[in-house]
Amino acid sequence: MNLNIDAIKGQTFDAIVIGSGISGGWAAKELTEKGLKVAVLERGREIKHIEGYETAMKNPWEFDHRGRPTNMAAEEYWAGMRTGYTPAEEHRYLFENDKQNPYIEKKGGFDWIRAYHTGGKSLLWGRQTYRWNREDFLANEKEGIGTPWPIGYDDLAPWYSYVEKFAGISGQAEGLDVLPDSDFLPAMQMTAPEVHFKNAVNKKLGRPVTVGRVAHLTKPGKQHTDLGRSSCNYRNKCMRGCPYGAYFSSLSATLPAAMRTGRLTMVHNAIAAEIIYDEATQKAKGVRVIDQNTMESKEYFAKIIFVNAGAIGSTSILMNSKSNRYQTGLGNDSDQLGRNIMDHHLGAGASATIEGFEKDYMFGNRPNGLYIPRFQNWGKDKRSYSRGFGYQGGASREGWGRGVGADGFGAEFKESLTHPGQWTVGFGGFGEILPNPENRFVLGAQKDKWGLPVLEFSAEFGQNELRMREDMMNEAATMLEAAGFKNINAYNKQDTHIGLGIHEMGTARMGTSVKNSIVNKHNQVHEVKNVFMTDGAVMASASCVNPSLTYMAMTARAADFAVSELKKRNL
Amino acid sequence: MMKRRDAISQIALLVGGAFTAPTLMAMDVRKGNSSIVAADFSLTDAQRQIVSAVAEHIIPRTSTPGAIDAGVPAFIELMLKDCYKKPERNSFLKGVNDLAKANFLAQPAASQVAMLTLLESNTKDLMRSYSQKKIKVGDNIDKDTLEGANGVPFWRLMKELTLLGYYTSEKGIQASFVYEPVPGKFELITDMKPTQKSFVY
Repeated sequence: MNLNIDAIKGQTFDAIVIGSGISGGWAAKELTEKGLKVAVLERGREIKHIEGYETAMKNPWEFDHRGRPTNMAAEEYWAGMRTGYTPAEEHRYLFENDKQNPYIEKKGGFDWIRAYHTGGKSLLWGRQTYRWNREDFLANEKEGIGTPWPIGYDDLAPWYSYVEKFAGISGQAEGLDVLPDSDFLPAMQMTAPEVHFKNAVNKKLGRPVTVGRVAHLTKPGKQHTDLGRSSCNYRNKCMRGCPYGAYFSSLSATLPAAMRTGRLTMVHNAIAAEIIYDEATQKAKGVRVIDQNTMESKEYFAKIIFVNAGAIGSTSILMNSKSNRYQTGLGNDSDQLGRNIMDHHLGAGASATIEGFEKDYMFGNRPNGLYIPRFQNWGKDKRSYSRGFGYQGGASREGWGRGVGADGFGAEFKESLTHPGQWTVGFGGFGEILPNPENRFVLGAQKDKWGLPVLEFSAEFGQNELRMREDMMNEAATMLEAAGFKNINAYNKQDTHIGLGIHEMGTARMGTSVKNSIVNKHNQVHEVKNVFMTDGAVMASASCVNPSLTYMAMTARAADFAVSELKKRNL
Repeated sequence: MMKRRDAISQIALLVGGAFTAPTLMAMDVRKGNSSIVAADFSLTDAQRQIVSAVAEHIIPRTSTPGAIDAGVPAFIELMLKDCYKKPERNSFLKGVNDLAKANFLAQPAASQVAMLTLLESNTKDLMRSYSQKKIKVGDNIDKDTLEGANGVPFWRLMKELTLLGYYTSEKGIQASFVYEPVPGKFELITDMKPTQKSFVY
């Protein structure tokens, strides 16, 4: 018996999915449910749903530093420190150590926040879930910025609906063009001052305010409970991993769905080094991986390959896949690989205090807030910049932390801090970043511990983003004022970079032609048709709404197309 | 024994002059600058006694446990060792040593309270040079930032760490709040009584 052939058999599948995060999980689910044998190659360690969430049920006093990052953590998670929360003690174990996984900032700065383990950042995302609107797909073409999208809202709408029903999205239907409704589970409630704010802003400024749309089960259906998922328990400790499977993640939802088909093989610790291109067939034939622990190199083979390693990860794999035909990276005829890094810029907004509402309080810790849809450059509104931003925020009563900056100490002070304090409110903008080909990364000369190139980033905000940020700050203050709130504190944080929103997008954009883009309207690499990219890498523009839902919908759509093409023997 | 008035004026002098001096190193928490991470940090027993006494003044034992009962003094030392860098450590030690020089522990309780009240008032002036903001840093995530040129003043560190250590300790939480780690629902309350304890999750 030829052992070599056996080994290849064991490593041959119908499809390979690189990455198990939010889009990779969807690729695995869709492809296995359509009958394909699928291997998911995850570069990180295995984390098991529920039992792997090691801090999920810990009490506050069980964290030595009560959640604060230590100096050691601050050094090792230097990029994470810029976010102000990812290296916190309770969920640091789910984020990547930046010192061990270096990258270089050549020009400007880039915050690259990574999570290498089963489920990737789907375990850590903010769960805010919004459909793109019609204009989001048209803006590039209308304004002559970047390249036109080859797809529009109608292409994605049925897939939005499809993924929403499975994921479970809580929200309130509003019938707004700017923020199309999803297929919703019941909305979470607004607090009394939030209702006041919504009504005031609507009446005085004509702007809608809605409760955040989140991928949390508020009323699970059979499709959710069948996978062992249950209702949100309002702990708001989501980032530690949810033992109830109440928020959507690859671990709670798509991977178990793929697993129950009996056609999923999960491979952990497998860093995809390159996609192997076959010059004869002009297709990819497999993926070479490096075991992150043993350094062993291994090849996996399949008819189709879905690249879902996260925007930067996916593109870097293509860049590293060099062949005679593609000397600067797989599918890079357009020289677009690595270009147009986008994100949502944040850190500009306003907070205030609220008088009254002393008798209003709430039981439960809502893992959600309010959402104010984009109103700039919408309809008759015109601004000095292009595109726009939405706001996220909300109101709550202060806890004991108010004592830190307050006067007093002693018995009375101690007692006073055991009661809820005054209401405070805050809103921060999430702004669209325009595609700019000079905001990019390249493979550097330095190698990481697996012998793979360390990435070098050049990324800076442009005038459009900087102008928008001023407006993000001022409009937030205007709305808090309209609601009659006091002590308004407007801010526009200056030392932020692209990447801070952890919504990294672009670098392998979708477009109308092999000359201007990496993938076509079906998410296929233009001339390597059995390679599909369906994560943030393919975004040709960024919208201002949180991106994950769009990746989910695109992935399900592309998987459907891929399987139909396979059946037609086109791949 | 130093008279109360003398002690207070000494503290005022020390606090008034010392913290605004430009000798304190610039705060540099954002960039994770390793050069200002001191190798180790610990307090002497004499310093520990002062820290314990001050923590207990902030959160005294009443019908419920106090700062010392909840292990706050050891927590403060651990935090300074593991989570703070030179500017804050220096500022903290300076504050403790100023109290030592003012013979803080030998004062009657009322004098100690007066000294700390003055210290708090002086610290407020210092804190005006700091920019404090509540900033939205992510989906559903706010952060309070405190940025300024010098190490955070001693009293502010002392108060923050005492409150953090106490109100997140098992004893502090159980004695102070309604602890509901798994609320199971989100419900609005419209008739809250002034006696209502905060919910902690």
